[in-house]
Amino acid sequence: MTARTLAWTGFLAIAAFVLMGASRIAVLDPVENLTLNVTAPIQRGLRSATGPVADWVNNLTDASSLSSENKRLRDENERLQAELARAREDAIAQQQTADLDAVRRQFPQDTFLDAGVVGRESSGLRALIAIDRGSRDGVRDGMIVVSEGRSLVGTVSRVFDDYAWVTLITDPKSAVSAMVQESRAQGVVAGNYDGSLNMEFVGQGAPVKKGDFVVTSGIGGAYPPGVVIGRVSGVDNTEQDLFQTVKVDHLAALSDLERVLVLTSFTPNRLEGGR
Amino acid sequence: MRYWVGAALAFALAIVQASSVSQFRVLGATPNLLLVMLVAWLVVRGLEDVLPMIGVAGVTLGLVGMQTPGVALLALLPVALLGAAREAHVLHSQLLLALALVAAASFAYHAVLLLAVFAGGGVFAPVVALRAVILPAAVVNVVLAVPVYALMRFAATPARRGALSF
Repeated sequence: MTARTLAWTGFLAIAAFVLMGASRIAVLDPVENLTLNVTAPIQRGLRSATGPVADWVNNLTDASSLSSENKRLRDENERLQAELARAREDAIAQQQTADLDAVRRQFPQDTFLDAGVVGRESSGLRALIAIDRGSRDGVRDGMIVVSEGRSLVGTVSRVFDDYAWVTLITDPKSAVSAMVQESRAQGVVAGNYDGSLNMEFVGQGAPVKKGDFVVTSGIGGAYPPGVVIGRVSGVDNTEQDLFQTVKVDHLAALSDLERVLVLTSFTPNRLEGGR
Repeated sequence: MRYWVGAALAFALAIVQASSVSQFRVLGATPNLLLVMLVAWLVVRGLEDVLPMIGVAGVTLGLVGMQTPGVALLALLPVALLGAAREAHVLHSQLLLALALVAAASFAYHAVLLLAVFAGGGVFAPVVALRAVILPAAVVNVVLAVPVYALMRFAATPARRGALSF
């Protein structure tokens, strides 16, 4: 390395740290919003142009995600399962204490803001999407985002004037207070780098079985209670462990999201919300 | 002039990476065309040419690629450090050198991003990240590097091409 290239490298390293600092105090938000406004149409065009090729390559290399038929069936399945879970949740809520009924009455008429997905984090280590709604549309940090089938997608984690970032529930930084619908066993649903969901801190004695629905518990106030997250796909309960680990399959087709709904009628209480 | 061409190419590639390439999932990993191109450019044209490209690509990816501005730039900086390996002539074959550097740059890129996730409070599961994201991405990037390097080598000027060897 020459002195010139070493100086360049040092300059770039300093610039990286300055940018990180500036981003942390939101100085760059207008620049990011402007850049997204300018590049969003180009990105949208590129995405739709290469989408069919990407589908073909992805289907070729991943036998588990074959064709748009699979997506359509999954969407339909998600909608039906979410309806079933909501019906069950309503039935349980009616039978349970007046306290829970009171909590549910806090959100009598949910209002949603429709948003299109315009971007996706590209490194593979995070699960983030960008939506084409921002603070000008009433989107606020911490608002929850659901799929068109009304199952939980994630939380708004960064808001610009015209765009917002949504941290998906499979993100390694995501942690959602949840409960198993049938047994009411509580825990925390956390994401991981492989896109899986685990429900942690579920007590050893709690009855949990494959196929049970997992919904938000509402504890902490970051999420309203009763929003469907997914279904139990496996339980790991070694006797020596203090807690059992519950594997959860999310209902929303998170890798194929094109449109989402931001729940604007629920104001999150920032007692929790992510690690 | 050559710096401006490189910078414009890096800007365009960062947008393509954030919008188009991020849709591809091969072996469960997203290819990083931007990183592969930077390393191929490094091998074919040298460190001095690639440094401005790293700057432009890192800043652009931070702004449009849903990564914290600065973190993407920091994650691409190991490409510059790998330039020392090129100058040391550790491998006679330029193609093998390009593949080795792509693998190393891919690991370094993800390692920096992973550290940023850990620092930001993400779940500490380095083994899962290595198995599910970092290793598959390195393999996919190395495979992608073969046609990209070949393309860049044949696009190089005859004089420069003569100085290179497969």
